[in-house]
Amino acid sequence: MSCRAVRNNCKTGVQKLKIKILRRITQASVLLLLVLIPILNMKGITVITGSLYSLAIGPLWITDPLSGLQTIMASLSLDVVLLLSMLIPVALAFVFGRVFCGWMCPQNAISELVDYVSGKLKMKRLANPALSSTPRYVILVVLIILAPLLGFPVANLISSPGIISVQITKYFYEGVVGFELSLIGLIVISEMFIVRRLWCNYICPVGGLLGIFRSGRTMKVVYAEDAAHVCGKCYACADACRLGLDPMGEKIYPLCHNCGDCVAACEKMQGSSKPLKFRF
Amino acid sequence: MNKKYLRPPGALPETDFVAKCIRCGKCVQVCPYKAIKISGIMDGLAVMGTPVIKAREIPCYLCMKCPPVCPSGALDRNLKKKQDVEMGNAVINKKECLAWQGTMCRSCYQSCPIFDEAIKMDNELRPVVDDKKCVGCGICENVCPVEPSAIIVRPGSKS
Repeated sequence: MSCRAVRNNCKTGVQKLKIKILRRITQASVLLLLVLIPILNMKGITVITGSLYSLAIGPLWITDPLSGLQTIMASLSLDVVLLLSMLIPVALAFVFGRVFCGWMCPQNAISELVDYVSGKLKMKRLANPALSSTPRYVILVVLIILAPLLGFPVANLISSPGIISVQITKYFYEGVVGFELSLIGLIVISEMFIVRRLWCNYICPVGGLLGIFRSGRTMKVVYAEDAAHVCGKCYACADACRLGLDPMGEKIYPLCHNCGDCVAACEKMQGSSKPLKFRF
Repeated sequence: MNKKYLRPPGALPETDFVAKCIRCGKCVQVCPYKAIKISGIMDGLAVMGTPVIKAREIPCYLCMKCPPVCPSGALDRNLKKKQDVEMGNAVINKKECLAWQGTMCRSCYQSCPIFDEAIKMDNELRPVVDDKKCVGCGICENVCPVEPSAIIVRPGSKS
């Protein structure tokens, strides 16, 4: 359906695609960075080191809050440097929502591709459970309790972005990858044949924890009609959502990770009169 | 806990190390010798992703670049001097050691970075390890001409 078929006031130009292009560039940059880090370090350039568990850009240290929390729980001791390095992702989540997931996480990039391909192939999944953030929180709580009981950061076993990033380093340094990378294959197969977006929507503890860090002022997708912004009920937003959410529906958070595909789709249909937009 | 893994310099005692290591791979990346490997899930769920040194392949040359990059404190970030490292202790298998069996060999003695302190030659020119001075870098294990190595680092800190 072309935008003109729905409403007459649809706008053309680069504006409507900006969010999507910006996001693809960000996703590609993260993947490129994960490859460049080991390559540069092997050449002795150690300005940027680390992985998606913990990254150092010069003196700026950034740590995944879940992995950090897990090592604190597992060792029952606090490291101030570690705690400080967890603040940036927490602050980012409080201001912009789970943009790590939507814009940076390599697992989300892979899962989006799987979702795109599955859609093109018209795959029928085995199950279609109701969308809920409860399973993710249950898994998160279990992992946090298990860490001190088992004495190691248990969540790392299923931290998909962390595993992907570390295994890229392992590949460059050792010429092989670990068996744990098969988790990604398992996720891909599950999402193709069993449940759509199984990992991000129902399981991922990294996204689960990031979803907790939000307030009323956190950036969110708002569906608000008024005299100048009337919804054409074209459902382009819901069709565009790679998580299968309905931005016109009631509650999309904390599952929505602010990728902006729905806002871009709405803009494509209605231009500046779109009822769907990002708000703080 | 079974101390069978040789950890990078500055590592906490094994149980604490496994709890505190965030498995980010930074120490692996900054090692100029590629001495630090990433453990796999096959080594055990608890150690998956942790850094380990296989001295017979590549030992630790004590360049001390890895301890300061550790984000979680699993490696002591303040460790600067190679003499203060406590990765483990070298143990000589006297039945296999060439010098102890009467053949001239001083490979381990000559390559020890804590030279003439951690490994000394006794009156009969046989190598002897001083447990108080040995830091456990594994260079001796790496250079030993006997196969398998007649001097092996037993991992674990002294305390």
